[in-house]
Amino acid sequence: MKLRSKIIFSFIFALVGFMVAIQFQSNQIPEERDTRDLWEVRTDLQEQQKIQQQLYSRISELDEMIQQYEGQSQTEKVATLKQSIIELRKKAGLTEVEGDGIRITVKPIFQELNSSQTYPTISPSLLQRLINELNTYGATDIAIGNERITNISPIRDVNGNTYVNNHPIPPLPVEIKVLTQSPKRLLDYMQVSKSKDEFAIENLELSITAEDEMSLPKFEQMPRLNYLEVDENAETGEQ
Amino acid sequence: MWLPVLFLIVGVLLGLLTDIRVPEEYANYLSIAVLAAFDTLLGGLRAHLEEKFDQKVFVTGFFFNVTLAAFLAFLGVQLGIDLYLAAVFAFGVRLFQNIALIRRYLIERGRYRKQTEKNQRK
Repeated sequence: MKLRSKIIFSFIFALVGFMVAIQFQSNQIPEERDTRDLWEVRTDLQEQQKIQQQLYSRISELDEMIQQYEGQSQTEKVATLKQSIIELRKKAGLTEVEGDGIRITVKPIFQELNSSQTYPTISPSLLQRLINELNTYGATDIAIGNERITNISPIRDVNGNTYVNNHPIPPLPVEIKVLTQSPKRLLDYMQVSKSKDEFAIENLELSITAEDEMSLPKFEQMPRLNYLEVDENAETGEQ
Repeated sequence: MWLPVLFLIVGVLLGLLTDIRVPEEYANYLSIAVLAAFDTLLGGLRAHLEEKFDQKVFVTGFFFNVTLAAFLAFLGVQLGIDLYLAAVFAFGVRLFQNIALIRRYLIERGRYRKQTEKNQRK
């Protein structure tokens, strides 16, 4: 090979090497580094410890229940069983509950506009967002109007009307009752919540008051569990 | 043959040291171009071993193939057809062929040398 052609050959080799290197580098994913500082790690650790504590307390509660089952005579066993059924029904929202909480009244806002304004309604997505927010801030039981919200309560749009538990919600103003363990805190959260703004966009006003000794209606229908199945294989924890 | 190898290493080092990254949208084009470059390189090597190496053909082939492959990938993206697969397939097949031919020439050359050595001893 002549020197000239050798140089051109080499130059193209260098070009190929360059391209390969760039391709290689582009495909490399930079590894994610743990950049938390000491305090962040500490707070994370504390959170995890809190979760651990909660889990431990739940385990001890359940252990206690098991002991009650085991160390009792037949009649007492039945009594414990009935007790747990009552507790579970309460948890599922099948009983009336009383307690402290907040009352949210949804009222229409009428603005002095030149254009005509329709009577506002609550849309399902607004309700869903509100319920999510309430649950985030520690609500234990929620009822919209006379409809108790359970884990399987549907909230949906049926021909333009908002249905909760397959019943249409009454026209405005609507009352939403929320039970919680610390009404004051929930009230404070809700006063500055996003939901207020979101409802205001739709010409709706939320007026929120704390109230003692509220009673929430029970979930009237049979809970439909057609699509629930017992998973016998599932074992929590280690396999 | 040491000069091209040296340049290859220099090119790789240059690429690694400059820390250039291609945006993800264009990574496809570059990968196709790299494949085309490999194909051309091996083709050139084979032609050299066959003693049919033509510098003009080699240089134009390199740039033309690389651009064509990238263009094909681009066209494929625009039309929604995975045309780059065609390039991958074509270059892939040729890559294997070229490597096989190079291997054969090298083996034959080795045999030829051994035979000449034997003949010389006699």
